[in-house]
Amino acid sequence: MTTEDLSGLIARTALGDRKAFSALYAETAAKLFGVTLRILKDRAQAEDALQEVYVRIWRRAGSFRVGQASATAWLVTIARNQAIDMLRARQPATLDYDDAPDIADQAPDPEARAALSGEAGRMEACLGELDADKARAVVGAYVEGLSYQELAEGNGVPLNTMRTWLRRSLLKLRECMNR
Amino acid sequence: MTTDAPIPDDDALAGEYVLGVLPLSERLAVEDRMRHDAGFARRVAAWQAELSHLDEAYQPETPPAGVKSRIDARLFAETDRPSPGLWGSLVFWRGLAFAAVVLAAASFFLPAEVAGPETPAAGPQLVAELGAAGSSVGLLAALDPANGALTVTPAAFSPDDGKALELWLVPGEGAPVSLGVVPDDGGRILLDRSMAERLGAGALIAVSIEPAGGSPTGVATGPVVLSGKLAKKIDQPKK
Repeated sequence: MTTEDLSGLIARTALGDRKAFSALYAETAAKLFGVTLRILKDRAQAEDALQEVYVRIWRRAGSFRVGQASATAWLVTIARNQAIDMLRARQPATLDYDDAPDIADQAPDPEARAALSGEAGRMEACLGELDADKARAVVGAYVEGLSYQELAEGNGVPLNTMRTWLRRSLLKLRECMNR
Repeated sequence: MTTDAPIPDDDALAGEYVLGVLPLSERLAVEDRMRHDAGFARRVAAWQAELSHLDEAYQPETPPAGVKSRIDARLFAETDRPSPGLWGSLVFWRGLAFAAVVLAAASFFLPAEVAGPETPAAGPQLVAELGAAGSSVGLLAALDPANGALTVTPAAFSPDDGKALELWLVPGEGAPVSLGVVPDDGGRILLDRSMAERLGAGALIAVSIEPAGGSPTGVATGPVVLSGKLAKKIDQPKK
């Protein structure tokens, strides 16, 4: 199904067309279940999340704008947000970033960063320009829903350092993507 | 950019939000800000577009068969139950349901002089029967392509609580386009020529309940209560 078809199904869903909604579900549920499962890592929770996702899609379909985002990206965003909200709801609601910054260099992780499936795109190339551990942190955060706390612990750095890393990595990524 | 450059905080915050790393309270604060700060919301949208390149890492996984029916039960058990406030006139509507269809022949296909001097029956009329699954409530929308007049029958009614009925053209792709609010005192909407030309046989029309005066945002904000497709009417009135 093309992006245009998906956009049309979302627009018709916005006007309460249940057939369009069912067709949209049939076309996209596997992808979005892949998202909630990858982040929540528990089938029952991922199913609950998927239900919430389609309830949101039904209610928010009217806010989808063709041209602002691809239909698939819009749907995946809803699924990621739902799954990440559920994850974060089980974690501390606030973080204390006021650790003393640790400026010691981290040895590069010998393991390769999480490989992206599919063809190597520009994003892949730009991730390759980051240090391996930083690229892995970006991918781990986005794809797996890792929190700052988890990333900091996994990398053995204070929260504040992790935050600085990630913010700088994001901006480097953008700079590379816009090049 | 060098790593020593100052980090623009808003942009970085928007990026962190999209990345998903923030704790819940900060996520909620960002979402609240997005609702009130359009510039910030655009930063978030830009990051979403940027990082969506990572979406292909998600492998499809077929969900269990029961999920869709649970979603439908949640959504449509709610919407099928009419809200008394909004649909205080539902009983009235149900009574009119048959009448609406029966009246259609009488009201739409009257000779031109009865319908008014500005409605020459130059082209075939297009009629959409607007209904909703499991509901006996219905409207008819008839378009006279010759003058762009869209007539909604029955017309003289007012939804409760100062609400209005708004008609939408639902294109095959893209966002729905408002055709206008059904006037309180009659069901006739004059469309721009360019809009009338977009309405051909097969066009999907829908009706939503909106605040008085119509949707404030340009998209349907209230529940969509009826929809139907325009079709050519064969039994044209004779001149």
